[in-house]
Amino acid sequence: MKAFLPKHKLPLLLEALRGQMEVIAPVSTDAGPAFVTWQGQPIDLMGKPLSPVTEFLLPHKEALFTYVQEAGRYTFKEEMIPSRLLFGIRPCDLHAIALLDRIFGREPPDQAYFRRRRATALVVQNCTSPGKECFCVGLEAGPEAKDPCDLQLTDIGDGFLCQAETPVGILILNAGRVLLQPALPEHFQEKTKLLQEARRAMPRDRSCSQIRQAMQRADWEALGRECLSCGGCSFVCPVCHCFNILDLGVPDGQRLRCRDSCILSGFSRLTGGANPRRTPGQRLRHWYQEKFEDIPQITGLTGCVGCGRCHLTCPAAINRVDLSVVSRLMGDGSEARR
Amino acid sequence: MEKVITTCIYCGCGCGLLLHVDGGRIVGASPSITHPMSRGSLCIKGWMAGDFVGHPDRLKSPLIRQGDRLIKATWDEALALTAESLRGIQKEFGPQALGVLTSAKGTNEENYLLMKMARAALGTNNVDHVARLCHAPTVAGLGFALGSGAMTGSIFSLQSSDAILIVGSNTTEQHPLVASHILRARSKGAKLIVVDPRKTRLAELADLWLSPRQGTDVAWINCLLNIIVQRDLADWQFIKERTEGFIETLQAASAYTAEKAEEISGVPAADLVKAASIFGLASRGAIVYAMGVTQHVRGTDIVQALANLALVTGNVGREGTGIYPLRGHQNVQGACDMGALPNVLSGYQVVSSPQVRAKFVEAWRAQLPCEPGLTALEMLWAAESGSLKGLIIVGENPVISYPHTSRVQKALKGLEFLMVSDIFPTETTALADVVLPAACFAEKDGTFTSTERRVQRVRKAVDPPGEARAEWEWICDLTRRLGAKAEYSSPGDVMDEIASLTPSYGGISYERLGPDGLQWPCPTKDHPGTSILHVSRFPHGLARLRPVLYIDPPETPDEDYPFMLTTGRSLYHFHTGTMTRRTSLLDREVPTPFVEINPEDARLMGIRDGTKVRVETRRGSVSVEARLAEGVCKGDLFLPFHFSEAPANALTAQYLDPVSKIAELKVSAARLKKEAP
Ligand code: SF4
Ligand code: SF4
Ligand code: SF4
Repeated sequence: MKAFLPKHKLPLLLEALRGQMEVIAPVSTDAGPAFVTWQGQPIDLMGKPLSPVTEFLLPHKEALFTYVQEAGRYTFKEEMIPSRLLFGIRPCDLHAIALLDRIFGREPPDQAYFRRRRATALVVQNCTSPGKECFCVGLEAGPEAKDPCDLQLTDIGDGFLCQAETPVGILILNAGRVLLQPALPEHFQEKTKLLQEARRAMPRDRSCSQIRQAMQRADWEALGRECLSCGGCSFVCPVCHCFNILDLGVPDGQRLRCRDSCILSGFSRLTGGANPRRTPGQRLRHWYQEKFEDIPQITGLTGCVGCGRCHLTCPAAINRVDLSVVSRLMGDGSEARR
Repeated sequence: MEKVITTCIYCGCGCGLLLHVDGGRIVGASPSITHPMSRGSLCIKGWMAGDFVGHPDRLKSPLIRQGDRLIKATWDEALALTAESLRGIQKEFGPQALGVLTSAKGTNEENYLLMKMARAALGTNNVDHVARLCHAPTVAGLGFALGSGAMTGSIFSLQSSDAILIVGSNTTEQHPLVASHILRARSKGAKLIVVDPRKTRLAELADLWLSPRQGTDVAWINCLLNIIVQRDLADWQFIKERTEGFIETLQAASAYTAEKAEEISGVPAADLVKAASIFGLASRGAIVYAMGVTQHVRGTDIVQALANLALVTGNVGREGTGIYPLRGHQNVQGACDMGALPNVLSGYQVVSSPQVRAKFVEAWRAQLPCEPGLTALEMLWAAESGSLKGLIIVGENPVISYPHTSRVQKALKGLEFLMVSDIFPTETTALADVVLPAACFAEKDGTFTSTERRVQRVRKAVDPPGEARAEWEWICDLTRRLGAKAEYSSPGDVMDEIASLTPSYGGISYERLGPDGLQWPCPTKDHPGTSILHVSRFPHGLARLRPVLYIDPPETPDEDYPFMLTTGRSLYHFHTGTMTRRTSLLDREVPTPFVEINPEDARLMGIRDGTKVRVETRRGSVSVEARLAEGVCKGDLFLPFHFSEAPANALTAQYLDPVSKIAELKVSAARLKKEAP
């Protein structure tokens, strides 16, 4: 199903959907755009939230189940998973979800992940004005959605071209049927043109193989000396997915799954105290190795979708994209933000 | 899911962050992109900021002591007992027998209300907080030299410095976001001089690393000043127009030639000359320092020496210049600003001034004591000797965080009445007669003031567990039970009163606190706040240079105790670890207490990474794992103080700086023994 949604009607569509499920949308806040439950706040479809939407499928911290002990016997209870609609996610985020589907879908599939995944509808917004940090085009993750989703939107100026791809997508559009106008051939031409421009606006020198070459050249120990071990790069990466499990509470309590990061030294420390990735430089190298060598081998997809968030969040003077320490004399693009 | 904008609970950087709330629970945190400090970044503690909030160990109801046990009670019972006990002591022994230790973790509003309660309801100026153990020398030293004890610029302005002198601050670990701004300055070409006995990460990245012997800072700083003047790198115009006391100061400093300073501090004369020329030649020089400067018997002198250096080079009052004391707790600045100190009311208005008192007497409708009260350690000593009988401790764990653990414990046990309010049970709540369960930073509204004087909002994201309450609520309740007035509908209400009585906060109100907060001084409702202090004049006209002389530290290594022990922090933990050690990822990073030792020393003693060792000083001993660290100089040991199972402060002494009454936490003579495996 295809349709055109005038821009000012968008809140009405969300309003109609809100009655049926929890709508998560990028809203503008004093701290920048963020994905939250939409309750009428102003929508920000321009900025890309720093925290990726994958937190709704793989929360930073989730209770896998609650355990209660009674008369020496344990009973377990799983939490209710809310039905959610992720609205306005980016093609890179969608590609990351496709990747997570493959990783968590390997035998045996990760039930906690798929419980949330099945309860989630995806509405993607194609990127007509990518950010300075974006390089999805080199990694074939954007700026146009390539992976399966329920509904695809493209901002073509005064409204959105809507393309529903699944029954859920059609239901979403039907919820706002009165708001829609028919999609015209001009709309499609405009979409093609805008996305072509977006592709051209993005750097072309950052493909998987080019980053692999940068990895060969990189001075990992010099990079590691700058790294502040904040873990930020893996916490904002939509592809990063490592976690640890702990039981909190005795005798009653919860089994929690919390996000973890291979950038932290405790992640690879062995019981005896030895650490195969002792220095921050070694861990950084491993991070790239995983994304650009290991994940591609396992899933067939590059473990990076080119969203540039790791570069945005890095408090150190590391250029996370070309793997140089930001030169002492020539600032790089990131300086503009600081 | 909701995302609540608030301020980080850990260090004085005061990063802005979002707490992710889902189903009434905190499930994550992420940085604010717009915040002037964080700009989309956080340190690992910030990323984990909300993690401890829902921990099952939280205190959930008030407790009252019955014999050896603490029994659940209602708020009414706990507060009635507290009021009755405090009033009894007040009647029998006078208000001087009472004291309040407030919390640098609490909000400005809570600190203000506590100092008001101490003064207006209990009638004592015995009110102090943990700043005594970190930056009292800053408040005293910079207060004297510049007329204000606060950071002179904004952290962001470091990015326009040409040279940054970093003294006694392991910035990448303790103030990671400040380090991030320093690293960015470096990538723009700023020269870094790092002075630290340990080869810290920043020292590795610096243009010059100086490693003076512990406690010899005055000597090398005077030497830099001396060389700078001799080489004509001083800012003569600034000295003439904006300072006083130059001649005497230079006279004192001129005794410290590079050779003499090398002899005292062990820093090669050539390096001192190099440092002096880097700093002297910079047109924008900044000085950043932390506890390595202040936690010394001569802390106030060292701060003054640094101020002398900045003033003589004209490096105050401009973008990229200035003196940057890095404050440890997220609100230690605010607790000082609010007058949680024995000698001043809010905004550093001195209690001994009749005009100041008259203003507060009128506003509070209560009599106020005029004699300055006791400092934190003095209160504990008074408790030990029996002259202090009743103490309120809010959000602090002195048994672990104060020097000489066994002495602190004995002092607290000797009290007639001890009330402690906290979010988790601690070694200190275990000694209390009444324990109150507090709401944590994510469960209440208020403001924190960061190390760069930025007053910012803290917002309630979730409800407190069980019966726990925001501290401002019970403080008001207790104040009323003690017979004074405390009618506020919200923390915003309290801020309005603070603004009305505190000139530097005069223009601050909740409506005005946007995503950037406001930097004080902000005297009026239309004032935009002040990013750089002392631009054209100092609060008392001219800045004061004061001669300072080097004096040997009270304890130096000897035959019996051949090592020099310093205490400090690790990146992954905070203070006594009550929060970070309940954050699984942080606890996993550094799960056990350790002592760092130079690999060479270790080899000679047959110690390996992970060997169990006992560290002993004249006060006590702790058993920890050894960690071989290249960064630690030969003859030195480094022990973090987060771990209650190996309390570093069992080892430290209580020698006090005569001016600021800070304790010598950095230097103790120690010895090391291998433990049987
Ligand atoms: S590695 Fe960086 S650019 Fe690539 S997906 Fe992760 S956060 Fe985005
Ligand atoms: S974001 Fe930067 S500083 Fe933080 S862990 Fe990653 S590389 Fe290191
Ligand atoms: S640098 Fe300090 S304020 Fe910022 S996130 Fe880390 S602990 Fe929190």
